[in-house]
Amino acid sequence: MIAGIIANPASGKDIRRLVAHATVFDNQEKVNLIRRILLGLQAAGVQRVWFMPDYFGFYERALDVFSGENQLTMETKLLPMQWKANQEDSQLAAAKMVEMGVSCLVTLGGDGTNRVVSKGAGEVPIMPVSTGTNNVFSVMVEGTIAGLAAGLVATGAVEQEYSLIQTKKLIIYMNGKAVDIALIDAVVLAEQFVGSRAIWDIGKIRQIVATCGESFHIGIAAIVGALHPINKREAKGINLIVSESGEQTRDSTQGSSIQVKAAVGPGLIRSVPVRSYELISPGQKVVVRHVPCVIAVDGEREIFVGPEDCAEVELVQTGPFVVDVKSTLNRAAKKGLFINR
Amino acid sequence: MALSKEQMLDLYRQMRMIREFEETVAKFFSQGQIPGFVHLYIGEEAVATGVCANLEKQDYIASTHRGHGHGIARGASLNKMMAEIFGRADGECKGKGGSMHIADVELGFLGANGIVGAGLPLATGAGFAAKYMKTNGVAICFFGDASSNRGTFHESLNMASIQKLPVVFVNENNMYGISMSQERHQNITDIADRAGSYGMPGMVVDGNDVMAVYEAAEEAVKRARAGGGPVLIECKTYRHHGHFEGDPCVYRCDEEVNTWKAKDPLPRFVNRLQEMKMATEAEINQIDIEVKKIIADAVEFAQNSPVPSLDELTSDVYCD
Amino acid sequence: MAEKTYSQAINEALEEEMRRDEKVYILGEDVGAFGGCFGVTTGLLEKFGAERVLDAPISETAIMGSAVGAAVAGLRPVPEIMFVDFVGVCLDELLNQAAKMHYMFGGKAKVPLTLRMAGGAGVGAAAQHSQSLEAFMCHIPGIKVVMPATAADAKGLLKSAIRDDNPVVFLEHKALYGASGEVPEGEYTIPLGKADIKREGKDVTILAYSMMLHKALAAAETLALEGIEAEVIDPRTLVPFDKETLYKSIEKTGRLVIVHEAVKQGGFGGEIAAMVAEECFDSLDASIKRVAAPFTPIPFASNLEAAYIPDEAKIIEAVKSFF
Repeated sequence: MIAGIIANPASGKDIRRLVAHATVFDNQEKVNLIRRILLGLQAAGVQRVWFMPDYFGFYERALDVFSGENQLTMETKLLPMQWKANQEDSQLAAAKMVEMGVSCLVTLGGDGTNRVVSKGAGEVPIMPVSTGTNNVFSVMVEGTIAGLAAGLVATGAVEQEYSLIQTKKLIIYMNGKAVDIALIDAVVLAEQFVGSRAIWDIGKIRQIVATCGESFHIGIAAIVGALHPINKREAKGINLIVSESGEQTRDSTQGSSIQVKAAVGPGLIRSVPVRSYELISPGQKVVVRHVPCVIAVDGEREIFVGPEDCAEVELVQTGPFVVDVKSTLNRAAKKGLFINR
Repeated sequence: MALSKEQMLDLYRQMRMIREFEETVAKFFSQGQIPGFVHLYIGEEAVATGVCANLEKQDYIASTHRGHGHGIARGASLNKMMAEIFGRADGECKGKGGSMHIADVELGFLGANGIVGAGLPLATGAGFAAKYMKTNGVAICFFGDASSNRGTFHESLNMASIQKLPVVFVNENNMYGISMSQERHQNITDIADRAGSYGMPGMVVDGNDVMAVYEAAEEAVKRARAGGGPVLIECKTYRHHGHFEGDPCVYRCDEEVNTWKAKDPLPRFVNRLQEMKMATEAEINQIDIEVKKIIADAVEFAQNSPVPSLDELTSDVYCD
Repeated sequence: MAEKTYSQAINEALEEEMRRDEKVYILGEDVGAFGGCFGVTTGLLEKFGAERVLDAPISETAIMGSAVGAAVAGLRPVPEIMFVDFVGVCLDELLNQAAKMHYMFGGKAKVPLTLRMAGGAGVGAAAQHSQSLEAFMCHIPGIKVVMPATAADAKGLLKSAIRDDNPVVFLEHKALYGASGEVPEGEYTIPLGKADIKREGKDVTILAYSMMLHKALAAAETLALEGIEAEVIDPRTLVPFDKETLYKSIEKTGRLVIVHEAVKQGGFGGEIAAMVAEECFDSLDASIKRVAAPFTPIPFASNLEAAYIPDEAKIIEAVKSFF
């Protein structure tokens, strides 16, 4: 009966606003979204909600309208932790919420935010509400509806077989040691700096390892979707080798190039020269071929691979559990949970 | 963003130059050799360096009261800047402007400014001039978090947007307006959030990462030059020293200062260069030694320069 | 010579200077298709296009501030602030930026802009749209202050102001826009800092500018009927101020009456009186008189406004007190 809210105050503001007409998601709008989520959670019967503290103060700001007649009937509490205004906050908050008995975590952010949350969430399901830019893991969903679905999961009113999907993930190894994970994709870039973090210069991509990707996705997953779609449930992944622009590109079988046209970012449709690709199975590790490089995980340039390092990426099926909004609510309706005779 | 090793080392040299310049100013200020007020840029070097590395001859920058770093990054003479801060005749402004009014219009450096937020309309006007004269130039406006509360911010961003001017508004969010923390002086944390209300893109970047700033500025400048109009880049950073030298900093705690010092843009960049085998320790040391010498020479130049003659008191009020 | 209004003369000066120098542009509220709040810029948009005649949003700070930035970057902006009363909204840009850059940057920056503003009472515009604020401007080192009273002077002075490399505040009187006078055709400039003797006389010197010049001239005609010959001097430019012409006149007449529409307290008349007292005392036969407005905001009701504005009768009274 306990839910948690982890809202990333930094999402939706990177360089893609400048280069790719990406959505600007200001924090005041996230406050409104949190309020709608809270009302959904409460309506579903959640009794307590834990908040991650942050530098913007989502907790105080979201709650300041719920006073007097509008007072929430459920309890809302701020997690006792010190924020550092970096990624570690979300991971730590998720872990602490699990300790506090939270049974569903609602996140506000992009795929990057969820990647970090999932590191601390263990087997507690996530309701990922998109406030990021090009998201595959987190979903564009009305906050009230997301709150209801998450609430139905948190209270156990809808059975897990209807409400949850276990996703896949990628484990990144550096010289044999696991250093990070990705939920959707690990992208190898011919760069030496994380720079402004987001991937937007497609010409730098040399290799893509992905857990999924469908034709209607935006971002790196769109390349996968255009070439060989893989959904979130299938027990496979993909490894693509991308040519340098200008390089003679060859299909692995035909000896001719494959130009894959894909919506690689908001407002950014590009032809990506794919030299070869292979499907990978759970447990399989692929080697990062281009060194030195920077590996972007779920869209954020994060990991440096030095000229003498060996990096590998492994596909596993033990990714986080995610709330399936449609299926959860359909099941609830079928069970008559919204009917009061 | 494909920078050569030389360009990377230049970025480092520039940041080191600003750091060394500012630490030297701090030293001589504490010894009573520099009059007035000085506001130091220590901790924020990556912003000016990353932005100005993208500029061309015909471009302009408008600066703030914390302007030494901007001037250095724009290529102003270190000797003349130091002499100006010492109040000497060979200073950039003949000793008549001082730390807060260093300018070099020939270089497109429209001056440090003693009025918070005053650079915003100036840069807007310089951007207008570039567009009007079709020079293909851009104007950069450096401004702080607190000045985003001034009317000049509102009017300038609005005007730059409706006139589609080649202006890049570079917000240096060092989290304080003098003693007032950002959380007390505005009810938002990301100044970039304000860009949308003027119909321009706004983005946030790590202002202590010179490559991140460089990359953001590169795109913004490219866009502005191509006629795409203004943008707002918010650089999250921190000043290691107080608002001015002598500020007791009672409004912030050591823990906060130390957290930010751990994100110091200089060692961060050096570590990266070394990790990527872009520079050896010896190469970095060599730069440090060269920079120390250049700044020591600047101090010598300043100290050997005479004080302005008394005729200067009333000259330059008007041009002939 | 042709008969033109003060407004047409200013328009002509703007047009001629814009044709002469491509770096000259106009920026202000409603200066484009609307032709300016007082019609002064009528027709210029059609002649020069929207790139050189720019309508600005109601943002005095950005109008003035961007003009300063553009001027430092090499243009010759002619911003318009609709009413001088609004200068408070952009005072920093005038006081701390435009006026000081040349000096504080060691003589290396130039700010060649001409800020046009309309001042003056007499049209029932009340306290926030009627003031004469020249004393403010004259107290700021680094800017020049021009206040033309006639159509011909407005044209000649505005052309000089635009060509000047310093920031110039050009104060027009809104009640004079419709006043006509002979205006020389084509190229015609009047140097800044040169007074004009509008009427010669030997008995008393009346120094008056802007609208007050016309009141002083009318008073002088009345006084002449009584045998008092007043010399009427229009300084035209307050900064720089032409002391020489004034002192010469005082040497001849020995008496000085200073007339301005601004309030007497802290008005520029006080500065002139002090200057004369310090430097030209020996030529004076009597104490200096000032005719100026009372120390009060400008009222709306027509009778109160009329009582506020210095008039011919008050000037005559001041002059007669000498005799």
